[in-house]
Amino acid sequence: MEGGDAGCIQQFRPQFSNTLYSTQVDILNHHLSGLLFFKQMPDSSLRVVFTNEMGFKFFDFEFTKDSGFVKHYMMPRMDKKPVVKALQKDFELVLMRANFQQASLLRDSQYRYVAVPMPKGNNYYITDTACTRLERMEKSSRRKPVVKAWMYSYREGVPDTIRIEHQNFKFNISLQRVEK
Amino acid sequence: MYLLMCRWILLCCFFCALNGYAQTGTYKPVADAAAFKEQFAKASQATQSIQADFVQEKELSMLSDKIVSKGKFWFRKENKVRMEYQQPSYYLMIMNGREIITRDGQKQNKVSARGNKLFEQINRITVDCVQGNVLNNPDFTSKVLENAQYYRLELTPVSKALQQYFKAIQLLVDKKDYSVSQIIMQENGGDNTSISFLHKQLNVPVADAVFTAK
Repeated sequence: MEGGDAGCIQQFRPQFSNTLYSTQVDILNHHLSGLLFFKQMPDSSLRVVFTNEMGFKFFDFEFTKDSGFVKHYMMPRMDKKPVVKALQKDFELVLMRANFQQASLLRDSQYRYVAVPMPKGNNYYITDTACTRLERMEKSSRRKPVVKAWMYSYREGVPDTIRIEHQNFKFNISLQRVEK
Repeated sequence: MYLLMCRWILLCCFFCALNGYAQTGTYKPVADAAAFKEQFAKASQATQSIQADFVQEKELSMLSDKIVSKGKFWFRKENKVRMEYQQPSYYLMIMNGREIITRDGQKQNKVSARGNKLFEQINRITVDCVQGNVLNNPDFTSKVLENAQYYRLELTPVSKALQQYFKAIQLLVDKKDYSVSQIIMQENGGDNTSISFLHKQLNVPVADAVFTAK
């Protein structure tokens, strides 16, 4: 285990301070669009708020400093445990706020894989062998990837594009950064 | 579903928005509410079209922050509305009779209001708002206040379903032409969304093409 090397992945952790994304969500046969807002709070927690273009709020989540999660609001119609859980885990994958101390490192000829153990399965951060480029992220059950995600075009530590795709059913989230 | 739709409806009542909430003194109850209702309904009936810029502010109280959006608004009798958001990202919403079309950066959705109760209701509230009947809507109790410049209509939802989404809705109506200058939707959690209408032009010709998505 080369625990120290797993740390290089931290350079891809998004440095959200006050960042707005134009957002599309395709879930089964539904299409939602709106604005997703990330705000770093003074207590080091991160708030994630999703509204539609007309201001109707879908959800308001908090990711606490110590990797905790608080649901401040979920639109009643969408307020189902599996939906909230899936969104929480998707964001945990891309926010990279989990504890990387436990991470392990794997390699093959093309890629490096940083595996961060989560309650069920691992989150994988896959880079080129020199760890200069984040190829993709994967959330895996014990047997296979259930979510794949990508972050591209970083500016000042924040990706311009984020894409999250569930592998078992149609649930895709696509974010493009916009000026607030 | 109904509640959700009502929320939308309120959003759709934007044609009435205003600017400068409480900027001209404190509000007191209007002396003659019946006379106001009559004037408001009369003015709305005389309004064939509205063209305006709008500024929408979504206030996130717990985050001490807000998201500001801007765009253009058109209304034409009886029931045609176009809201085109230009900042921070493109979004288009058109209501043309019973049809509602939305388009974001990636996808166009067409929703027929026929056979869809939610959209039928939105449609009704929208038309009520434009026609000045919103005060007679049984889904809300209303109170009318005034200061030197504005009438303020305070609408409180009656049903539990609507109350889940809204604490209250306020419309600011400009005294000089009875047009809606601002709509403020107050949520239970302390957040609110306001839509202010600027550079309003009443009764200028608005072409049919404005209400198609091409």
